[in-house]
Amino acid sequence: MSVSTTSVSLDKPVVHPPRRMPGDHGSPLTQSRGVARVLRIVSTALIALWFALPFLPLMLWSFANQWMHPAAFPMEAGTDGLTAAIANGGGRAFLHSLLLSLVVAAIATPLGAMAARALSRGHVRFGKAITVLLFSPVLLPPFAAVLGLNVLLLRAWVPPAVGVVLVLVAVAIPYTTFSMRAAYAAYDDGFDDAARTLGASSRLTLWRIHLPLIAPALARSAFLAFLVGWSDYLITLVVGGGHMITLPLIIASSASGVGNESSVAVLSLSAVIPPLILLGFIARTRNLDPGKQR
Amino acid sequence: MTAVQSRPRRQGMRATLLVLPAIIPVAIVVIGGIGTTVVQSLGLMPLVGTPALSVDAFESTDNLLGSALLSLGIAVVSTTIAAVVGFFTAVLIISGNWGGRIVGALSAAAVTVPHLVGAASVGLLLSDSGVLARILGIPPESWPALVAGPTWFAVIAEYAWKESAFVALIIVGTLATRITSYDETAAVLGASRGARLRLVLFPLAAPSLLVASAIAFAYTLGSYEVAWLLGKTYPEPLSVMALRLFNSASLTARPEAAAVAVITLLLTAAIVGVAMLGLRRMRAWQ
Repeated sequence: MSVSTTSVSLDKPVVHPPRRMPGDHGSPLTQSRGVARVLRIVSTALIALWFALPFLPLMLWSFANQWMHPAAFPMEAGTDGLTAAIANGGGRAFLHSLLLSLVVAAIATPLGAMAARALSRGHVRFGKAITVLLFSPVLLPPFAAVLGLNVLLLRAWVPPAVGVVLVLVAVAIPYTTFSMRAAYAAYDDGFDDAARTLGASSRLTLWRIHLPLIAPALARSAFLAFLVGWSDYLITLVVGGGHMITLPLIIASSASGVGNESSVAVLSLSAVIPPLILLGFIARTRNLDPGKQR
Repeated sequence: MTAVQSRPRRQGMRATLLVLPAIIPVAIVVIGGIGTTVVQSLGLMPLVGTPALSVDAFESTDNLLGSALLSLGIAVVSTTIAAVVGFFTAVLIISGNWGGRIVGALSAAAVTVPHLVGAASVGLLLSDSGVLARILGIPPESWPALVAGPTWFAVIAEYAWKESAFVALIIVGTLATRITSYDETAAVLGASRGARLRLVLFPLAAPSLLVASAIAFAYTLGSYEVAWLLGKTYPEPLSVMALRLFNSASLTARPEAAAVAVITLLLTAAIVGVAMLGLRRMRAWQ
């Protein structure tokens, strides 16, 4: 009788299929077959085309040096558009836009987070009226407020740049407040309480426990506030009174002219890319959300 | 004893201090802005002369009704398209297969595009010597006037494009998990595709669809740059008219611009009110 031993290797990677939780997107149950499948693929393609089509001219015109009319595609590729865009002051405008959007995000995000914290715990008097007020800038036609405000700010001797930031912060606050409110609805105060019970000061609790836990939500709020500053045209134009030349202002003046398609495309593309990069970062931070871990 | 009593008050105080920094800028912009606009429209804040209460600005503005109807028409058509496309986009995204993921990424990208950039690219796409006309090989003289034409096609297309992505984002963000579990339950119980769409997905998505559509409608009504860039010069939507009057050299034009703004505010308030009533009915019924 002989005894043999075989070694079992434990570090062989065991491949688990991704675990599906109830409520995850998609499942074999609701997947389509046959005619429904064809219909689904066609409708998916049509909707993808609907969202992608307006990006097409930006891609084609940005790198076209020469594209005479009957030709279906650009005849000569090059960077003439980029050169023209920089000659029009595109570089400076890009930096102004970036600075303005970052300032708006840096102010509107903490304000929104603080308001959301207070409102979500229900200790605020006139909570409902305050909620309505803080949400109202979303529904307010910007030009209606700006026409009046312009007079108000001029009479109060508010510098144009400060006025632009003030109005954009007010427009961004609904987005930051309501996205932070959703985050606080899922936030467990037990983390803060545990830290305080263990002897941490309230400041230490805020910096080491509270802020790291809500950081992903803060990032999302800041992104929304950034977008408000980045997308604005009218408020910068009227309240800024021509002192602040941001990217949308340059795009508007190029696009309302004739014959500078490639310059418009390059400027537009440079306005599309930064938010997309930020969106990529935001999408990756998602799993840290304390609300989603539970 | 006093410590116990003062605790709620201290909490209330702390909460007020936390809310106040957000309230101040919003109140300045919303209450200050609207207040000044209303005062201007009633002739109480003229550039020159003595202030006198009057509704002249509302009566003397040319074609105010025509502009209001035009603005409403553009907003109704573009919001309707955005709501329909946005709802089906959300359904595709929630289904979670690869097509849904592509559509999800593209619509998220569309949400981040500034409206002005959207307008510039729609202009490059749809004008008579635009990219679409070139790719399809249609000469400018037989290409329909989509940009700056009588149908406001390009303006409506830009709003519908951007806002459909917004509507889809709101529906997916607020209801994705609930929708999927109910959808699966209905599928287990043997509901057909059409029945699930009509009786499960649509009713569950309806409240957020309504809210998103109301926001999109209010935005479209008050937006300036798209209609200014892609629209006809006459008749003009309310926002374009207000800005033209605001920048004009005539002294009577400022109150008229403010009057146009007040009309827009009233229309927006009416639409939002109707949407809130609809939302309340939906809540009662669920």
